[in-house]
Amino acid sequence: MGRLRNLFHPIMVFIGVQVAWIVLMAVWINWYLENNLAIKEFAQRIRPDLFTAEIQWLILFEGCFLMLLILAGVYVIFVYWNKQNRLNQMQSNFVASVSHELKSPLASIQLYLETLKYQDVSTEETMDFVETMLSDTQRLSGLIDNILQSSKADPKSMAMQFQPVNLSEFIAEVVKGHKRQFEEKQCSLDLKLGVSPTLSLDKRALRMVFNNLISNALRYSPAGSSLIINLQRIGKYWEVNFQDQGIGFEKKDIKKIFRKFYRVQNKDTQNIEGAGLGLFISSEIVKNHRGRLKVSSPGRGKGSIFSVQLPVSREVEV
Amino acid sequence: MNNNGKKILVVEDEAHLAKGLQFNLEREGYNVTLAENGQVAMDLLGEEDFDLMILDIMLPKLSGLEVARKIRNTDMRFPILMLSAKSTDEDRELGLAAGADDYLTKPFHLPELLLRVKGILRRWEWYKEPVHDQEVFQFGEMWINFSSGKAKGCSDEFYLTAKEALLMKLLVSQQGKIVTREELLEKVWGYDPQTETRTVDNFVARLRKYFEKKPQSPKHIITHREKGYEFKSDPEK
Repeated sequence: MGRLRNLFHPIMVFIGVQVAWIVLMAVWINWYLENNLAIKEFAQRIRPDLFTAEIQWLILFEGCFLMLLILAGVYVIFVYWNKQNRLNQMQSNFVASVSHELKSPLASIQLYLETLKYQDVSTEETMDFVETMLSDTQRLSGLIDNILQSSKADPKSMAMQFQPVNLSEFIAEVVKGHKRQFEEKQCSLDLKLGVSPTLSLDKRALRMVFNNLISNALRYSPAGSSLIINLQRIGKYWEVNFQDQGIGFEKKDIKKIFRKFYRVQNKDTQNIEGAGLGLFISSEIVKNHRGRLKVSSPGRGKGSIFSVQLPVSREVEV
Repeated sequence: MNNNGKKILVVEDEAHLAKGLQFNLEREGYNVTLAENGQVAMDLLGEEDFDLMILDIMLPKLSGLEVARKIRNTDMRFPILMLSAKSTDEDRELGLAAGADDYLTKPFHLPELLLRVKGILRRWEWYKEPVHDQEVFQFGEMWINFSSGKAKGCSDEFYLTAKEALLMKLLVSQQGKIVTREELLEKVWGYDPQTETRTVDNFVARLRKYFEKKPQSPKHIITHREKGYEFKSDPEK
């Protein structure tokens, strides 16, 4: 079954079509050469005026051009077909992982609600459960934001609402929302905000970026590790770095991780949930701020650093 | 609440779910240990004995399916309840084939989970009661040790899963008689409207692979059309 599927792989089909086309061509040329004299004789009897001494360059050029056109057409069809195939595959992966992502917080909320319904729970425990459920709803709404944002046909045309934002205060505020997640994963946070520039930013969009980067750092790091967030000026950019001690990347994955639906596939990540949207959206949002989202990693298992670079030109007077 | 502090190992990487499960199971009188990934679970199993394992599938490091398969290849004998967001029929079959005794999908209802846990432990108690004088049941070249779960089939020695052993024990204890699918369902799986009689057939097919030279024409585990199954230790009789 696997061998049969390999046979119908787009590349195999493409090669097959090309081979068939070349073989047909060769057969035709062979036939033509063999019957050349007979055809000439036959043609001369009907249209003697066809046989002139010089080569007809226009017709030759036209023929070559048509040949090239056919070849290009086949190639274009192949490229699009391949793209379509990949998109279908990605979409089904996406549906599977998103439904799984949605179910986990949902299961947790249902469990706590039913606990409140069926068990005798003290006020203190109730408060704790409510906090947990709120943190699950936050996770759900983050995921839904990501899905909605990524479903827009052209992320570049995202409507941005810029307003003056004090970057260091804003980072501190976003981090505060993840307090519970840090506690649960027993991860520590080192916040280094020495400067506090005010930039013209879209607060809602940038909150998504920071939320995605912090959630990723927590998700892909072992319990008990630490995350360093620092804000600094590098040349023409204000740079926010998120340095984790997580599973890191291999070089070959670094370019791909900002692609829509892309997820690094290896033994360490196979059972970690994710929809492959967060980094794609984050990088689009940062681009819309005329900034850059960069990543570096010393290697697999050695942590990674995500840097959000926002141009100094966005700075506004307070 | 007379669960006598039965020990349950909950293997779940979602901290919120794990904490909620622990709270509820402890309220029911169970003794709960948490493991956040498959590797930690395997390490804990090496140190302690547990009466039941609640196992998530999507786990970092070592997946739930791998954990179940590993356990199946050792002499550790306890039932596994798989808890997963994967809800297709294939996922379910994959989980059961890996060695799970029951499969519940997320999100789940709390009362249902507690009833299933209770049911699995009750059936396990019944299984532990001896029906034979000797622990090892021998038929022909083959044998089953019901206390360790170890068995010798047509070819090799291997370990039966808790559910396979339970099913085999029920058939053996009534050998020569027809046991209906409904009885098997009720005693081995507990009353559960979701479980179909097809489940029994799937498990019987697996048992035949172990104990029948030609699973297509069985000599020991005989199907009686529209009635049930019968176990014959000596096919000649």
